[in-house]
Amino acid sequence: MIDPATFKQFQITGKVLTDHKYNTSHSGNISMRAGGKILIKRRGAMLGYLEPEDIIETDLYNTDSGIMLSSTETDVHRQIYLNTDAMAIIHAHNPFCVILSLIEDEITCLDAEGIYMYRKIPIIEVDNPAGPIDAAREVPKVLKNYPVVVVRGHGAFAKGNTLFDALQNITGAEQSAMIRYHIMLTGKPLKRDYSKEKFFSEW
Amino acid sequence: MEGMNNQILEVNLTTEKTSVSLIDDEVLNNYLGGRGLGVKLFTENVPKGVDPLSEKNPLIFSIGPFTSSIVPTSGRFSLVTKSPLTNTIFHSNSGGFWGVYFKRCGYDGLYISGKLKDDNKGYIVIDGTKIVEIKDADHLWGLKTVKTIEKIKELEGKNAQVLCIGPAGENQVRISSIMNQAHRAFGRGGVGAVMGSKNLKAIVVKNGTQKFPIKDKEHMKRLSVVAIDKIKVTPITSQGLALFGTAALVKIINLFGMFPIRNFQSTYATPDQIDSISGEKLRERFLEDSEGCYNCIIKCGRLTNTGEMRGKGPEYESLWSLGPLLGIFDLKEITHANYLCNEYGLDTMSTGATIACAMELQQNGLIKDRSLAFGNGKSLCDNIEKIALRRGIGNELAEGSLRFAKKYSAERYAMQVKGMELAAYDPRGAFGHALNYAVSSRGACHLTGFLVASEVLGVPKLIDRFSIKGKSDLLFLKQNQSAVEDSLVVCKFVGYALGFEFQARFLSVILGKEINVTDLITIGERIYNLERLFNVREGFSKKDDTLPSRFLETLLEEGSSKGRVVPLNHLLQDFYKVREWNEIGIPKDSLLKRLSIERLK
Repeated sequence: MIDPATFKQFQITGKVLTDHKYNTSHSGNISMRAGGKILIKRRGAMLGYLEPEDIIETDLYNTDSGIMLSSTETDVHRQIYLNTDAMAIIHAHNPFCVILSLIEDEITCLDAEGIYMYRKIPIIEVDNPAGPIDAAREVPKVLKNYPVVVVRGHGAFAKGNTLFDALQNITGAEQSAMIRYHIMLTGKPLKRDYSKEKFFSEW
Repeated sequence: MEGMNNQILEVNLTTEKTSVSLIDDEVLNNYLGGRGLGVKLFTENVPKGVDPLSEKNPLIFSIGPFTSSIVPTSGRFSLVTKSPLTNTIFHSNSGGFWGVYFKRCGYDGLYISGKLKDDNKGYIVIDGTKIVEIKDADHLWGLKTVKTIEKIKELEGKNAQVLCIGPAGENQVRISSIMNQAHRAFGRGGVGAVMGSKNLKAIVVKNGTQKFPIKDKEHMKRLSVVAIDKIKVTPITSQGLALFGTAALVKIINLFGMFPIRNFQSTYATPDQIDSISGEKLRERFLEDSEGCYNCIIKCGRLTNTGEMRGKGPEYESLWSLGPLLGIFDLKEITHANYLCNEYGLDTMSTGATIACAMELQQNGLIKDRSLAFGNGKSLCDNIEKIALRRGIGNELAEGSLRFAKKYSAERYAMQVKGMELAAYDPRGAFGHALNYAVSSRGACHLTGFLVASEVLGVPKLIDRFSIKGKSDLLFLKQNQSAVEDSLVVCKFVGYALGFEFQARFLSVILGKEINVTDLITIGERIYNLERLFNVREGFSKKDDTLPSRFLETLLEEGSSKGRVVPLNHLLQDFYKVREWNEIGIPKDSLLKRLSIERLK
C-alpha cells in the first residue's frame, strides 16, 4: 500500500489536471519511479478522485502482471523511465496542445514563461496515436532532450524530477499552447516574435 | 441462417443410429447457436427430473455463427447437458479447434442421446459431411487422455480432433471433465461423467470442408483489422494474458484481498508466497511456449516443462485450486497435479475445492486421513488419482464437496452454490461477483457474469467493488452479454479489448442484416431465462440462490477486503426486480411474453 505522503502527491496532481480540464472523466495517467518500481494510476480510475487503491505498483524494467491493472499507457511510461532522466511522468489530453498538434509541426512558445521554460514543444506523429505501442517507441526519443512532447492528435507527455515538476511542465506547455492558439485566432501580426530570436531554430 | 449449417446431427447410442434434422432460422435468430441453441434443444427435449447419469440426459455440442470465421478468438464451442454435480441445466465451453472442424463437417449441433448397450464402449467419428460412425472403444477404455488421443490419432489420422474422457469420466466422477485435445476442457459440473455414463469414450471430427460465404467479405476483413488492432494495443490482451497466461491474476487478486487460501479461511498470501506461484514465476521457471486457439492472437495457453514432466497449464483457477486453496505454494507440485487432473479428465477447480473441503474437515477432526492435511503437497497427486479411480476416500471425494461434506454433516465446509464449487475470487471482496455466484444457473460460476472485470480490473470502467446499488443491473447486463458470447461463440477475453458493439457489427456482416447491441442483449436475456425456467421446474428457487454461510457471516480478518461480508439479501432483492422474477426467483409471465418463451412442462 502506498504511503500517505506519496499518495497525496498523486491525489493533488490528479486533481489539478482534472480541474484544468485536461482529460475526460477517466483518461490521462500519472506515475513516478520508486525503488525499481513504477507507481502508476490504475486503469479506469478517475484522476480527479484518486484513492490509495488506484495507485498500482509495477516493475520498472519488465512487464509484470501489474499490467492487468495499471494504466493502458504503462509501457510508454516504462520506456520513458528506461531511456530518459524522468523520475515522474504525466500524460494528459490537454486540448490546446492537441489542437495545435493537428495543424503544426511544433509548438513554438510565444509567451515569456514558455520561452524561458521550453522555447518550443516538439510534436511527433505515430501510426496508431491511441495505442501505447508506437508511443512507447517514439516518445522517449524526444523526451531525452525536451521536458514535454505532444503526440499528434492524442496528447502530451511531460517528465519531471517529481510529480509536481512534471505537473509544472504539462501545465506550462498547455499555457503556451493556449496563448499561441489565441494569438493565431486574432490573425494579427506579433509586435515582436521572440521565436525568431536567440537561436530558437536551433533548439 | 447465414454463417450456419441449419443442421443438427443426432446420434442415438442406444440404437446406434444417426440422423440429421434441420433447424429453423427462427430458432437461430432467437438463440444464435452455441449455448443458446443447446439450451433451446435441451429444454425442448428433456423431461422433468431426468437423472443426469441416465441415458435420457443428452449431451449437446454446438457451434455458433462466428465459429470458423475470421472473427478473432472464434474457436470456441459449447456443450449443454444436465449436471450430475448440480442437477441444474449446465453449459460449458471450450476452445481449440474441434468446433471449427465440426462446423466444417456441415453441422451446427451434435445431439447425443442414449447409452451403448451391453456395456460396449465406443467412440463417435464424424468424417466430413457424409460419414458418421460409432466405433469400438474397448481398447481405449481405462486409458488416460493423452494416451487416448494418441491411439485415436493413430487410427483416425493425425489431423483428427478429439474430445475424450479420462478414467474419471469413465468412473462417473461428478467433478470430471470432457477433455479437448488433452489439456483444454469442458470443465465444471461433471460433464465427463455424463459422457462416461453413455459408455462413450471420445468424439472425433475430421475432414470437414464446408465453407461459409460472407456476403461482404471486405467489410468483414476491415472489421477484423480494427478488432485485431484494438486487441494488440490493449495491455491485458497483448501483454498480461499473452506473457503470463491467466495466471497474471495471481498477484492482482491477492492485492485486493480476494485470493482464497485454505478453503477460504484466509484471502491474503504473503509477498513471498504469492511470488512463488505468480504468473511471472510460472513463466520464469516452466514456460516453454504459449499457445492460442483457432484464430487467436492473445495466446494465453501455457506449454510448460517442470524438468520432470511436460504438459499444459496451469491456468489461474487451476493453479489456485490445486495450490493456495489447499495451503500449497510449491509451483512444481501444483503444476504436476494440474497435469494429472488433465490426464485423468478431472475438473481442476472442483477437484482442488473438494480436497480443500476435506482438508478443513481434517483440520477440525471430522476425518483422520493425514494425507488430507492443509499444505500436504506430497500426497496431492495420490489423492487426485484416488478421486479419478474412486479408490478409498477418493470414492467419497468423487461426489464433489457438497455430497462429501453432507456425509459428515459438515456442509458448512463445502464452498459451493447449488453443488458447484466457487472459483478463485472470494465473494467478500467484490459484491457484484458474489451475487453472480449466488444466482448463476449453473452454480458458483465466475464466467457467466464476470464482474471482477469492472470491480477489480477496471474494464470497461472501474466500479466500487463494495457498492451495492446498481450491481444487480450491471450483473444483468453482463450475464446477458455472456450468454450471447457463449452462443456466437467467442472467447470472453476479447471483451477486455473490444466493446460489445463489435460482436453486433460482426454478426450483422455475417447475417447480411443489421443486428444491434440491444437485439443481442434480448437474445442473452432469453437464453438466461430459459435456463432459469428449467431449473425452476427442477425445484430450484430463491432458497438455492445463496452463498455458504462463511461469506455471509464471517468477517475477513486481513488483506484489503478486511472486515467484509456479502450483503446478499440487498443484492438479491434488486436482482430479482431487475430480472423481472417474483419474490422467490421465478420469472414473471409478462417477462416470458416479452421474450417469447414459455414455462416448461
